[in-house]
Amino acid sequence: MCVKLSTREIEVTIPNKHGLHARPATRFVQLASKYESNIEVIKDNIVVDGKSVTSMLTLNATKGTSLKIRATGPDADEAVKELAALVESGFGENDQKDG
Amino acid sequence: MEIKKGIAVSPGVVIRPAVVLDAEEYHIPERHISPDRVDDELKRLEKALSQSTQELNELRSTTAKQLGNETAAIFDFHLALLKDKNLINKMRQLIETKHVVAEFAVASVLREYAKQFLKMPEYLAGRVKDVYDIERRILHRLIGQTHQRLIDLDEEVVVLAHDLTPSQTANFDRRHVLGLATDAGGRTSHTAIIARALGIPAVVGLKDASISTNPGDTVIIDGNRGIVIINPDEETVEEYQHYLQKRVEFEHTLDQIRDLPAITADGHEINLLGNIEFPEEAQTVLEKGGKGIGLYRTEFLYLGTETEPTEEDHYRAYCKVLEIMGDLPVCIRTLDLGADKYTQSRSPVPERNPFLGLRSIRFCLQHLDLFRTQLRAILRASMKGNVSLLFPLITNLTELRQAKMIVRDTMEDLEEEGYEVRTDVPIGMMVEVPSAALQCNQFAQEVDFFSIGTNDLIQYTMAVDRTNERVSPLFSAANPSVLRLIKEVIRAGQRYDVDVALCGEMGSEPEYVLLLLGMGLRTLSVAPPAIPEVKKTIRSITIEHARKVARQVATFESDKEIIRYLRDQISQVLPELY
Amino acid sequence: MKLSDIIVTDAIIPELGSATRDEAIEQLIKSLAQANAIPKRTVKEATMAVISRENQATTGIGKGVALPHAKLKSIKHPVGTIGRSSRGIDFGSLDSKPVYIIILLLSCTDNPDEHLQAMETIFDHVQQDIFRKFLLQSDTVEKIAELISEADELR
Repeated sequence: MCVKLSTREIEVTIPNKHGLHARPATRFVQLASKYESNIEVIKDNIVVDGKSVTSMLTLNATKGTSLKIRATGPDADEAVKELAALVESGFGENDQKDG
Repeated sequence: MEIKKGIAVSPGVVIRPAVVLDAEEYHIPERHISPDRVDDELKRLEKALSQSTQELNELRSTTAKQLGNETAAIFDFHLALLKDKNLINKMRQLIETKHVVAEFAVASVLREYAKQFLKMPEYLAGRVKDVYDIERRILHRLIGQTHQRLIDLDEEVVVLAHDLTPSQTANFDRRHVLGLATDAGGRTSHTAIIARALGIPAVVGLKDASISTNPGDTVIIDGNRGIVIINPDEETVEEYQHYLQKRVEFEHTLDQIRDLPAITADGHEINLLGNIEFPEEAQTVLEKGGKGIGLYRTEFLYLGTETEPTEEDHYRAYCKVLEIMGDLPVCIRTLDLGADKYTQSRSPVPERNPFLGLRSIRFCLQHLDLFRTQLRAILRASMKGNVSLLFPLITNLTELRQAKMIVRDTMEDLEEEGYEVRTDVPIGMMVEVPSAALQCNQFAQEVDFFSIGTNDLIQYTMAVDRTNERVSPLFSAANPSVLRLIKEVIRAGQRYDVDVALCGEMGSEPEYVLLLLGMGLRTLSVAPPAIPEVKKTIRSITIEHARKVARQVATFESDKEIIRYLRDQISQVLPELY
Repeated sequence: MKLSDIIVTDAIIPELGSATRDEAIEQLIKSLAQANAIPKRTVKEATMAVISRENQATTGIGKGVALPHAKLKSIKHPVGTIGRSSRGIDFGSLDSKPVYIIILLLSCTDNPDEHLQAMETIFDHVQQDIFRKFLLQSDTVEKIAELISEADELR
């Protein structure tokens, strides 16, 4: 197969009050799983699989934590853009409902 | 070595490794598989995961419809866990490298993960219940399959469980399950009935034995003394092995008489039949040398399923037995349920005293649709063999007549529908309550046969629940009033030329066989495994001696005197038994 | 199903004039027709059906009670009536004793479930000594009807 494998990286900051807890992590994983690209999420020097909810939760990313989203694959470009948008929108969550 | 005391419900002794069926809380032990089963085990895991995913997807969409998308989003986390490569790969690795069963892999990976969760900030730690929830969901799928897997055991084992359901035992591999022990249950529990039917030792009411046992532990189930020994020491094992050796020798002598007739030493022929619960046991009756089925219990059709059995379900079960038995008699007893989930769930208010409540034939006469379904199947099956029909728990003539009236109406319906039906199917009744025994002369004029159910007859005569340890010593077949009731029934049978059978456990104990034959009984129906020993007893005694014994017994005042005398008499003719 | 759903009050006969089983059956069926509970043209068919069922096996279940019954195509729902006879009628009962109370039931061939429900209800009441005793003592249509509604309430 001859597909151009590109790697894209983008840095985001967790905006929600309770950080990257179960529900946002699930949303992130759901979206990440839609892409063919390999998705990694990096906090400091910890690299985890962005398609695994358990891995994402081990990041223990609280509000204000800065994360790197790295996508490698044919749709890497789109993937990082959309995932970054999800994080920055507060995972589409209303903070009042968090709990 | 750990000794647990329970209630002995089926005699015999067995020493084997344990299979532990897990209770609702799922104590998942580390069980291993042989390396060549790894692929199968991985497939089981995959199947359980995909079934759970499907289940959750359905749950999510119904929740979304009813409560909105927000609420349903809870299940997204569960679904994400089920798809999580990180978790699934760990489970797979455990199976591939450690050769553990899928249950153990799932439980250890998820529990480990739950532990990590607990260390996280509070708002995340709360999610630990979701991890447990998903664990239960997957395990439920896997353990559902485990029960099926008891079909293909490859070694002889004993089964320990919190409790056993009919659907679990229905799937037992009978060649490999050699004993049962449960934490729950009493003498009339399903485990007890099934163990006696299979002729394997069983002890119930052990409280916590299944938790104290690890799979693979050596376990002795002593169904004679009501104890279970977990990891016995060498000396204990030797002691039991010695006992078993002697027992095997005795059973060997029993095998030799299998094909000989059940005839007393002075030439009186006795009808020796078997009691069965499951169609497959009919084969055992033949193998053990029984000459028919004296009691075919039909409750198994109703238990263990969520839906009511259809006429075809009944019909198939009956035909199966009739096919095995050929021309030999098969006595089918109509539904005898009561005091259990089945009847109680159909009661508008819980009965305060269900043992004296709307049960058995009373239940049927108040649920005629259900009764008719069964009668239709029995009457249709009657064309296929030598069938007779038996009503349980009859207490007064009106009940008997009503039941017979429904039989008659059902015959008419079937004929109108173009079925061929035998209109002369013999109809009999159980005599298992004192009121029936005391009115047996009237009943004898309206039935074709009696079947004395001693277990209930003793319970209702003595007003004692024999599973209640504090009063169970009062439960005695040798009680003079019980014996007098039995005598009345036998006499009424002789007077009106009505066959009298006895189908309680009393009939499988050699000392009582001697007494009952002396009282004039000529038909005995016992659990299939007991047939050889009863036959041996019959062949060893003479009616003349038995009559003398019965006359002597009638002069005693207490059950203790009677038992002592009977044991003394039987040990003279059958010394190898004692 | 309640007993009062089955028993047609206007068709109750507190004192049957009939001396024989077949006459009593016919009288009760005619009474049902007069009360417009069954079509008049079915009287003959119904009478024959009940008698032929009775000839196969008596429904005289003892304690002075008989429950003659039959299923007919021409009937929509179970209908029944009660007849009393203070002299007693020979039903060839199982206890060889005369019958003082006849509860007659006609049901629809195409609805066997309703027939069984009606039978359950009748069985349930007839099993009770007190019901039979009061029924024996009730000598007017009103008393019988009242007894039926009381029995329904107690059930």
